[in-house]
Amino acid sequence: MNAIALAPQPCTHCQLPIPAGRSGEFCCAGCEVVYAAIAKHGLERFYELREAGAPARTSERSYSELDDPAFERVHVRRVGATATAALLLEDLRCTACVWLVESAPKCLPGLLDVRLDIGRSRAEVTWDPATCKLSQIAQHLDRLGHAVHPYRGIDRDRQHRLEDRLLLSKIGVAGAALGNVMLLGIGLYAGLFQGMASGDATVFRWASMLVAVPALGYAATPFFRTAIGALRARRLHLDLPLSIGIVAGLGWGTANTVRGVGEIYFDSLSMLVFLLLVARWIVVRHQRRASTAAELLLALTPSRAHRVDPVTGAATDVPIEALVPDDVVEVRIGETIPVDGIVSRGDSAVDVGLLTGESKPIDVAFGSVVHAGTVNVVGPLEVLVTSVGEATRVGALVASIEAFASRRAPIQRLVDRIAGRFVVIVTLAAIATFVGWSMISPALGAEHAMALLVVTCPCALALATPLAVAVALGRAARRGVLIKGADALERLATPGVMFIDKTGTLTEGRLAVVSWRGDLDAAQLASSVEAGSNHPIARAFVRHAAAAPARDVREQLGHGIVGHVGTRRILVGRPAWVAAQGAVVPERWVSELAAAGETPIAIAVDGRCVAVAGLADPIRSEAASAIRRLEALGWDVRIMSGDDDRVVQVVALELGLEPQACHGGVTPEGKAAAVFAARQFGPVVMVGDGVNDAAAMAAASAGIAVSGSAEVAIEAADVYLRTPSIGAIADTAAGARETLATIRRNLRCSLAYNLLAGTLAVTGLVHPLVAAIMMPFSSATVLASSLRSRAFRSSK
Amino acid sequence: MIAMYLVLALALGGATVAVLAFAWSVRSGQLDDVDTPPRRILLDDK
Repeated sequence: MNAIALAPQPCTHCQLPIPAGRSGEFCCAGCEVVYAAIAKHGLERFYELREAGAPARTSERSYSELDDPAFERVHVRRVGATATAALLLEDLRCTACVWLVESAPKCLPGLLDVRLDIGRSRAEVTWDPATCKLSQIAQHLDRLGHAVHPYRGIDRDRQHRLEDRLLLSKIGVAGAALGNVMLLGIGLYAGLFQGMASGDATVFRWASMLVAVPALGYAATPFFRTAIGALRARRLHLDLPLSIGIVAGLGWGTANTVRGVGEIYFDSLSMLVFLLLVARWIVVRHQRRASTAAELLLALTPSRAHRVDPVTGAATDVPIEALVPDDVVEVRIGETIPVDGIVSRGDSAVDVGLLTGESKPIDVAFGSVVHAGTVNVVGPLEVLVTSVGEATRVGALVASIEAFASRRAPIQRLVDRIAGRFVVIVTLAAIATFVGWSMISPALGAEHAMALLVVTCPCALALATPLAVAVALGRAARRGVLIKGADALERLATPGVMFIDKTGTLTEGRLAVVSWRGDLDAAQLASSVEAGSNHPIARAFVRHAAAAPARDVREQLGHGIVGHVGTRRILVGRPAWVAAQGAVVPERWVSELAAAGETPIAIAVDGRCVAVAGLADPIRSEAASAIRRLEALGWDVRIMSGDDDRVVQVVALELGLEPQACHGGVTPEGKAAAVFAARQFGPVVMVGDGVNDAAAMAAASAGIAVSGSAEVAIEAADVYLRTPSIGAIADTAAGARETLATIRRNLRCSLAYNLLAGTLAVTGLVHPLVAAIMMPFSSATVLASSLRSRAFRSSK
Repeated sequence: MIAMYLVLALALGGATVAVLAFAWSVRSGQLDDVDTPPRRILLDDK
């Protein structure tokens, strides 16, 4: 008679809720037919493969803030009689979306053109301000299911675009140089074996030089620049040995061309520069993609508030920046409270989960203090502003995130540490070679020393990390794990302590009916009277069982709800309140549920208590298996939550975690301090979803934000899980470990090649043809090894 | 071997043209977005 789960399943085909009164797995006959057709052809895998099956959402916002002159000044460009703006659109997936969005000008007079960039989720709209307003365009796109956000990163974006174009041009130049020098090189090598008139050889060498030196001088500038920057900062960077190799090779090749004797290395060098630029391009592309996805989520911040005019009482939309203390703002149902303040009118309940991690909503009334970033769930409120922006509690938290983030020392990447030793060893070896060979023959000293510098130029070493990382980032993104940079992967690779937030991370983050004492049929009655309420407790009942029509429903905020279904009078509320209305509530039921960490809610029919429901924030189904996998990987998993300690202990027990390692009632500031303290003993990862976790994420070696996180948390985190499954945390940790293993394997491979090539050069056995073959061969080995990596490979 | 010098000059000239054409296409923004245009050609203009 206890735990039952009746949460209504959405339609198997379209994921829309199944209307009350329809039985089975489908919302309508149409969906059932389509499902049958798909199943008949054995194509059920469609349901696995399709991306988040949520139905198109429309936000039904007015977007009036887009017509504000202040907005227009910043975001709208006017060209003649037309205006252009960049918008971020949600939920762009496929060709159909492109078609729908780009066809918008046919539906909306005054809208002249929409150009979509699906990779960046961005649309450039051009319209005629005389006949059409930007807010109308936004409303239209919203109705298509693509909620609109102003694109705030235009300047940085322009900067990125210029950088990307420059890098592409350099790849083009290096590629053309490579192709042509290679052809000339083939001629020269063939000449070595078949004989070639020395005049022709000279022409070919000069031609190689004339192509390679200017082309590579231009294309390799990024490496020279980083190398010089690293030297100035007295840090070691892989670009330093690369630059030494390139400069030495170009210089010595030029000298030998002019002298007409000795080796030239233009073919190997062209290949080196081309491959390095391509690797850099791949990494840049992946990082841009991850940051665009995160940006879209950041744009979700409400940037406006409804200010109530003190005289007329009318509410006008203003940007948050325009608010000052002592203003009054209206906060409608479902909206995020934009300021810290005191309730001046209205009763409601506020969901503070994102700010403090508490799973139960807090009732507020006249005089209650409310904080920015919490969500008003039940009734409209008017709030007297006490502080805005950075002065709010959220603002202070965000400021502390920045403070922690700036204190985070950049990790010295494995490859840069190796590069440091590499420079020293190669330089010493080159000097030894020069001195040694000079004693035998003065001409050979410089020749062999230069050969050493060129053939050991660490091409494969430079490709080892970017290729492994690019493969990992790409595969991770396809699985819904957005990793913001290569550093995060290296930080996540070594197991240490992992603190996991409870509310919204290990649990669903919303109340649900999890157990039931008494009459099961009362569930429908409770759902019926609660159907009209927005209170989280009411929503839990409505999700639990289908509702029937109810009348005379009256809500007593903070206590319960009363209403009639048919002729019966139904009371649903706190046991104490229901008891006060004259019903006898069985004490045993209430205490059992409370002991299990659940919130007991009594249901009385015609003055007699028939059932008590236990409400709790249910643990996500994959939480336990994800924790087992993390522990198997060597992580010390602990819960750190802002919720009541008793609730945390219940969850810890259920997930099989050490109760001593799990703490509840931790303030956001306390979380950051705990993480900071734990970092003395090794790597610490913070996993969370709320503003209250964000500072701790910034303080940790690496932060992971789960799906549905607050934007501050996404910004503070290094990894954002777009998939709702928290099994992805374990995937990420495992993937990071695999990636580091791949990087290590790549580094070993390339160092082995360098050792071999270096030995040949020192002994004077190296031939430019050998160098020209070894260079691409070592790079291809590294590429193959990266692609073979098991990181983030689908387990299915 | 005059032919070879001629071919060499032609090849390098061709390469220069190719590089310039590529630089032009990059600079005019044709490679900024490589995801949307291939979908766009699937759509009918009516």
